[in-house]
Amino acid sequence: MIGLEGDTIASALVSNGVARFSLHIKGSAPQGIFCANGQCSQCAVLVDGLSRKACVTSLAAGMDVRTISGLPRLSERDEAFSGSPTRRLIVDVLIVGGGPAGLGAAKELGALGLKVALADDKARLGGKLLLQTHKFFGSEADCYAGRRGFDIATELESQVRAQPNVSIFTNSPVIGVFKDGVAGIYEDNRSYLLVSFKALLVAAGAREKSLVFPGNDLPGVYGAGAFQTLVNRDRVKAADRVLIVGSGNVGLIAAYHALQAGIEVAGIVEIADKINGYKVHADKIRRMGVPIYLSTTIVSAEGEGKVERATVASVGKDWKPLLDTARTFEVDTVLVATGLSSCDELYRQAVSFGLLAVKAGDADEIAEASSALFGGRIAAFALARTMGRKVEVDSSWIQKRDILKSRPGNRVTRENVTPGEGWMPVLFCDEEIPCNPCTTVCPTASISLSGRKGNLLDLPYYKGTDSKGCAACIACAACVCACPGLAISLVRALDSDWCEVVLPYEFDASRFEPGSKRMLFDKEGAELEEAELLSKVFNKKYRCWALHFKVSSPNAAKAIGLRVQAPEATACLPQPLFTYAPDEAIVCRCERIRFGEIVSYIKGNEVRDVNQLKSIRAGMGACGSKTCGPLYAAAFRAAGVDPGTVQEARLRPLAVEVPLGTLGDIVAKGGAK
Amino acid sequence: MSVYDIVIAGSGSVGVPLSYFCAKKGLKVLVLDREASWGRGQNRAAIGGLRATFSDPAKIRICTESLAIVSHFKEEHGIDIEWRQGGYLFVAYDEEKEKAFRDLLKVQHAAGLDIDWVGADRVASLAPGINRNGLRGGTFSPGDGYASTLKTNTAFHKLALEEGVDFRFGEEIVGLDMEGRRVRRMRTVKGAYEAGLFVDAAGAQAAAIAAMAGADIPVHPDCHEAGVTEPVERFLEPMLVDIRTDDESGSYYFYQAETGQIVFCITPSPQIWSTDIDNTSWFLPRCARRMLELYPRLANLKVRRTWRGMYPMTPDGQPIVGYAREAENFLLAVGMCGQGFMLGSGLGKILSEVIVDGKRDSILDQLTLYRKFEGMEMLK
Repeated sequence: MIGLEGDTIASALVSNGVARFSLHIKGSAPQGIFCANGQCSQCAVLVDGLSRKACVTSLAAGMDVRTISGLPRLSERDEAFSGSPTRRLIVDVLIVGGGPAGLGAAKELGALGLKVALADDKARLGGKLLLQTHKFFGSEADCYAGRRGFDIATELESQVRAQPNVSIFTNSPVIGVFKDGVAGIYEDNRSYLLVSFKALLVAAGAREKSLVFPGNDLPGVYGAGAFQTLVNRDRVKAADRVLIVGSGNVGLIAAYHALQAGIEVAGIVEIADKINGYKVHADKIRRMGVPIYLSTTIVSAEGEGKVERATVASVGKDWKPLLDTARTFEVDTVLVATGLSSCDELYRQAVSFGLLAVKAGDADEIAEASSALFGGRIAAFALARTMGRKVEVDSSWIQKRDILKSRPGNRVTRENVTPGEGWMPVLFCDEEIPCNPCTTVCPTASISLSGRKGNLLDLPYYKGTDSKGCAACIACAACVCACPGLAISLVRALDSDWCEVVLPYEFDASRFEPGSKRMLFDKEGAELEEAELLSKVFNKKYRCWALHFKVSSPNAAKAIGLRVQAPEATACLPQPLFTYAPDEAIVCRCERIRFGEIVSYIKGNEVRDVNQLKSIRAGMGACGSKTCGPLYAAAFRAAGVDPGTVQEARLRPLAVEVPLGTLGDIVAKGGAK
Repeated sequence: MSVYDIVIAGSGSVGVPLSYFCAKKGLKVLVLDREASWGRGQNRAAIGGLRATFSDPAKIRICTESLAIVSHFKEEHGIDIEWRQGGYLFVAYDEEKEKAFRDLLKVQHAAGLDIDWVGADRVASLAPGINRNGLRGGTFSPGDGYASTLKTNTAFHKLALEEGVDFRFGEEIVGLDMEGRRVRRMRTVKGAYEAGLFVDAAGAQAAAIAAMAGADIPVHPDCHEAGVTEPVERFLEPMLVDIRTDDESGSYYFYQAETGQIVFCITPSPQIWSTDIDNTSWFLPRCARRMLELYPRLANLKVRRTWRGMYPMTPDGQPIVGYAREAENFLLAVGMCGQGFMLGSGLGKILSEVIVDGKRDSILDQLTLYRKFEGMEMLK
């Protein structure tokens, strides 16, 4: 096998076609990645004799990487004990997490002259921005809307690195917060650093929720964020065909990212009766050829050692699957995109110890990265005020943060557009979301928000020809290429029967020949007509093609997309093929504790305390219950116990496992200290 | 108003087994606890060692009983509490410690305990990888061992439920209604409970409850932190105890659990007299350093979790077991000095015989509240 130095071991293995990393001690169950984010511990492999998470361990020359089969042996490498004192750092504020919120906070606190340490568990700063190859929604002026996440990360990082009083630690998870106002940092995954702080700002982001269904721990079932990490950050073609569970923005974007990477998407299933994410996202995905099945859930993932098929079924009113509606898809990957939960343990731990702490971004509330940018800055100012600095939070920031994280608003029906002689944009978005790049990129200022609400949620309208001071559309196609929803076309009438239509296309159109024909689709993905490609232009700024088609007049203002994947990709098997065993679903991945086992333990022992689940080892694994924690409520409910009456689990360090040798200040192999 | 034969304050290492043994003998038993479930006081914090190799006859007697119960638990009740008879190994790296251990052996042999001096080679074979530099040997007691405190308490809770014991959780005890020198009712934040006998098995909270009966008991908790590593293949059988001290810490000990993790604990120096159970940044670097000096190979083992609990201490390191003079139906089973788990099951059985069968037992004389609290047990 060949891997690239600096890639994570997980990405290197996946790119070599390895889905099964290790065998669990229980039942020799195959184990692969789940979160690819350092949160769970399902991807553990033996690296130079120590078990390590493959997803956060970078490949290096000479490294010995092995499968763990059952319990690993304690390495017999006996190193001399150095005994130097534990290193310490004293700061005003320790920021946990270098994503949009943490970077935003670091920039502000640094500018205020506070001594700041920022620790992030990844090799590069930017957090989830690094995974985001799609164009951002939001406002172009405030939060880089229309630009792609990884570009935004680079800019934010350079702003923070320019602050001399901000120390940055990458590859350095914060392993715990302690009563004495000190945090332990596993610096560069190699040495132990104690950081004394006056205040803690937790901007550690979010982790994906696990989902309970049989086969949910088979290699090939993983989080949509993990998929984005592999595909977008590490450029690994992680799958051939995926099924996505969950229609929130994360699931919808994952489908888009899959198509970008040349991976087929069999479909998206959503247990609710409506799409959970932005409609404009969902429409975009549908047009590209991905079906979204509402009121549908996954009932099993199966295969020999890895996912080979997944079965879904419609659900009844009680959200239980109707097995006679089951459909089986041949996929090698199931992406779990059923929501995120805040990584706020360190915040809660600090608060429980009576320490000064705030949280921001997804660690505070799950929302868009654009909102987190403001959230981080607001939290920084709030903290600075508490620490006696005379600063005011700009009230517009709070407004912007709140608007950017708002749920979609009303659906609005747009009037039909009749193409005329002059160019004009047709706007297809019809749900109020915080987004405005089309209005800011237009060189003639001919698109503006309706003004109904008076904020970013308002829908954009073309006012070019009928409003004062606006010039008409000049057909530059900037709005077409900048729209994150790919929901703007340009039209003009060629004659009474034919129109010219400009459509956005973010995939590779370099081989599209003018004169050839392509099927065009309407907003929701219904076929319209085969249309002749007249010409094509690549917009470098937005990395998007503007394709000019000749379209019949009745369809001209309806056409907005092209199919990206063939219908065969979404076909199911003629007969469903699965066994239904919901009690077999894994809840605690680290210790492989099944749903049925937990329910019967709760019943048999009159359990009303999550802490007691440790008796059957549930939550006792390496991840510290971070992955299974949110799932126990369902188990209590299934046992007939109201989860609201159940005692919550007590938080304890460590957030990340650290070798005793590191804690006792013995230099790890390859260490420079 | 509910009426019971016996109300036990505390559903921990002592209270839960006691409730089971009493209910099995036919008593109607209620257990009260302020926590949301059993074993959430100091049982959850105990690391799980279980030995009979003490120097004091009462402790030897109780722990011998505990060992018999715990080591046969699976056969008798069909519940795996992860008992492992790995033995205890106290190591000596200097002449003074060697002499102390050897002197103690005389007492222990007189008590019929299975413990002996083993040389450095034997220590190294029992604990492969141990630092041999200066190692003189140690005392090894193969009959001792360890079990999961959580599983043991859960098992006793389940058995108690099956015997009809009532457990009421989330009920902090707020007072005792006295009638002359008898306790009539125990009152909690939620109700009042009448019984013929009340037992104080409230661990670190024992003194507050005894005070409600007018008894002043010298039980003061001090704080200890502990931790657990990831699991690895078995490499270590005995519980290793190093009683050396340094400028910040006293003795420390660790063992490899049945499931493969190393569980470890250290005594801070000076002791921290408090009920604080919040983690400190002091613990890990200090404890890791001590452990690595003794056992360099542990450098390769990752720490998974840490926590903090209390030792409800008495002035002489011995429990207090017996009736209070201030209230004749108020039984103290308190001051386990960090050994509630190893004492609890045996004590529960012995006390059930005292309570139900009216048996006289010498431990009530030996561990009475009214003894002179002199000295401190060696190797407490």
